[in-house]
Amino acid sequence: MRRTLLGVVPLTSPLYALHPLTRLATLGLLGMVSLFIDAPEVNIALVFLVFVYLRWARVDLSGLRIYLPLTVTVAVFMFAVAIAFPERTPGSHTFRFAGITFYAESLFWTFASYWRLMAMLLGTIQYFSTNRERETLVAIRALRVPFAVTYFLSLALRSAGMFLEDMRIIREAERARGLDETSLALRDRARLYAMYMIPLFTIAIRRTDEISNALYARGYTITGRLADGGRRTDFIHTRYPFRTRDTILCVAQGALLVAVAVARVGFGAFTVAHSPLRRLFLAAVGGA
Amino acid sequence: MDAVAIRGLAWKYAGRSSFAIEEVDLTIPAGAFVGVVGPNEHGKTTLVSCIKGIIPHGFHGVWRGTVELFGEDVRALGSQRLAELSGFVFADPEAQFTSMTVEEELAFGLENLGLPVAEIERRLVWVSDLTGIGALWDKSPYEISGGQKQRVAIASALAMKPRLLILDEPTSMLDPLGKDAVFDLLASVKRETDMTVIVVEHNVEQVAPLADLMLLVHRGRVARAAPPELFFEDCDLLIESGVQPPQATLFLDRLKRQGRFPGKLSPRFEEDVAAVRDVLAGRARGGGTP
Amino acid sequence: MSDSVLISVEDLVYEYPDGTRALDGVRLEVREHEFIALIGQNGSGKTTLSKSLNGILKPTRGTVRIGELDTRSRGVTRKIVTQVGYVFQNPDHQLFNNTVHKEIAYGPRNIGLGHEEVEARVEEAARVCGVKPELFEEHPFFLTKGLRQRVSIASILAMRPRVIIVDEPTTGQDRRQSVEVMNFLRDLWERGGHTVIIVTHEMPIVSEYARRCVVLSRGQVLLDGPTREVFARPDALAQAQVKPPQITRLAQALGDHGVRGDVLSVDEMMEEFDRVTSS
Repeated sequence: MRRTLLGVVPLTSPLYALHPLTRLATLGLLGMVSLFIDAPEVNIALVFLVFVYLRWARVDLSGLRIYLPLTVTVAVFMFAVAIAFPERTPGSHTFRFAGITFYAESLFWTFASYWRLMAMLLGTIQYFSTNRERETLVAIRALRVPFAVTYFLSLALRSAGMFLEDMRIIREAERARGLDETSLALRDRARLYAMYMIPLFTIAIRRTDEISNALYARGYTITGRLADGGRRTDFIHTRYPFRTRDTILCVAQGALLVAVAVARVGFGAFTVAHSPLRRLFLAAVGGA
Repeated sequence: MDAVAIRGLAWKYAGRSSFAIEEVDLTIPAGAFVGVVGPNEHGKTTLVSCIKGIIPHGFHGVWRGTVELFGEDVRALGSQRLAELSGFVFADPEAQFTSMTVEEELAFGLENLGLPVAEIERRLVWVSDLTGIGALWDKSPYEISGGQKQRVAIASALAMKPRLLILDEPTSMLDPLGKDAVFDLLASVKRETDMTVIVVEHNVEQVAPLADLMLLVHRGRVARAAPPELFFEDCDLLIESGVQPPQATLFLDRLKRQGRFPGKLSPRFEEDVAAVRDVLAGRARGGGTP
Repeated sequence: MSDSVLISVEDLVYEYPDGTRALDGVRLEVREHEFIALIGQNGSGKTTLSKSLNGILKPTRGTVRIGELDTRSRGVTRKIVTQVGYVFQNPDHQLFNNTVHKEIAYGPRNIGLGHEEVEARVEEAARVCGVKPELFEEHPFFLTKGLRQRVSIASILAMRPRVIIVDEPTTGQDRRQSVEVMNFLRDLWERGGHTVIIVTHEMPIVSEYARRCVVLSRGQVLLDGPTREVFARPDALAQAQVKPPQITRLAQALGDHGVRGDVLSVDEMMEEFDRVTSS
């Protein structure tokens, strides 16, 4: 396992044979395709497929457990709101259970929305579980984004890493001054995070000078142009050859996303109305 | 041609009332290994920053005099030419590591120079062999220690094949193993290349044995400039000026003042041991003061 | 635990979240009025151990007891900091407020002291650390590094801990600055009656100031004893990849001439040399 800013990635993976841009395209596809899919069966299947994909890519699935509390919290929140403030469309079926009135359509819609959200979340998480920061930058550079922008992003990522490390030490220093986080009220905890800003900014400001001097010392210019007007070499880019299969996969993923969008918008595919699960649910609660 | 020729250099930071360095006249021959010592806030970093051109580029203030690097006036040079002529390694291993992997970090300066891909490859292999960091190429900054980061920083600077390499307190944030690794590396650089090297250090014990020339920067002036054998002649002056000579050298200095040691004061530990042995042997033979 | 033992460490094991075992069964006692140096390579566990001594890090297994307090218990943070203080290496990591006065008052406020007591403590700590009242309304960001270090130490002393742990007090400093801060710590020990623990790489500082030396290697205590005795064992130190100060190594290189191997300073070397040459 190899640590990155946002988690861990496997040391080896069949995915690494693909160009970073191809993998970025996967983020685009899996992160956005569910926007056009209402039917929960499809999103649930998508979630399952992504898990299989991650397994194939040698990602350590147990590492994804950190997202579990989030998924549970979101579920609880969404369903609580749906039950307390249901969408009372005319003709919608209701049923009673444990003394509460449930609106079947509203409930099912929430169920479908939840799975759409889970699919999009997992679609995003899969990218950060299989790509290092360097690969993301190479992918962006392959899109011909200006050097100044990609370098800014690169520095931001690096600074974020330093930030996190400083944050850890600052929290220890707070504890050494008698601050017991666990005994604080929520409001005070919020104020506490504001307090972290002081040392973090102090360190960042001091470091800014050092970083800019270090860059200058190695001939960096913000334009990415040489003294004679030529372009700076992009060496790391050459480490990632863009092959035919990458072209095919990028195009295929783009086409798939477009196809799903067209099917949904133009032909009404993937809607809740046609969902077999919905029919089953309504039958079970006595609806039409 | 001299690597560095400084005449009448003075610099005052904007907002300060006095000059950080003044009346500096200095010549450093090409290929020399120079150690710069002195108390904090007395001008060591200012001096080497002026040599590298970081001052006046990134700072506001008053500049007087001239600094020439291999015959070229530093103030007239752009960052690319300055990077070709001189490399700079800073004290903080974190702040100078700005990429996401070691390989990128090594290549960064070379990309800025616009070198062809094949040349960059060759240099990466060369510098990794020289500095022993070949196994670290794929690692991210979170995966390597401070000492390793500093070696990467030195390697990144070396890869650009500058004619002059300046290191500003390169080991101050490292543990003893890290310090040793950096000084071993500098010894290799001295042996295997003809680079001119300037090292600012508090660790006099480790820098003096490598130096051809030692500079004492005190109150903004170069108070003393001499080869090591002569530099430690007046240990009291050094101590008053806030520099701690190597303990063994200091001990020999005391013996010398008592007339029990006639030789030169070397900062090299092995030579100091041999010198003390000679004194003891002289005593053992009952020969009195040798 | 006998009266004079302030911190008791038993079979301490510490593992980081990613599984690395930093400490592997450490046993240690810290008593009243000691001056201890914790030394060892990076990765030896010395920083982890120092942070375990004041509860910043809680043991994975084993115990760290500060007086009657077990650092693993909940809600003991406020009590611990009145017993054991920790000063971090970089003052910037521990300056949270926009004036020096608020900074020094921060700790005492956190532990629930009343306004007047807080004021008294701020004045006392500032005086001991040489932080003049004229600086009280200054923003710590604009102070020199040396002053920031003093403010950090003052902000810990304001909680009146009996033990003060200082991480790398002299790193990056020149001789004069190092001597200043170390003399200050020695005063705290000699006159203030505190126990001082320094975590450091600088062997000449250890030999000049620390009375007791604890050497860590690979998460375990390799050597623990009076500094003089510890430095007289170069082979054991080599195992921890630690070298004694140069003057000690000079003495040890001259063992065949009858020179003692536990010389700690140039002055002692002169005395030893006189002794050997006069016999």
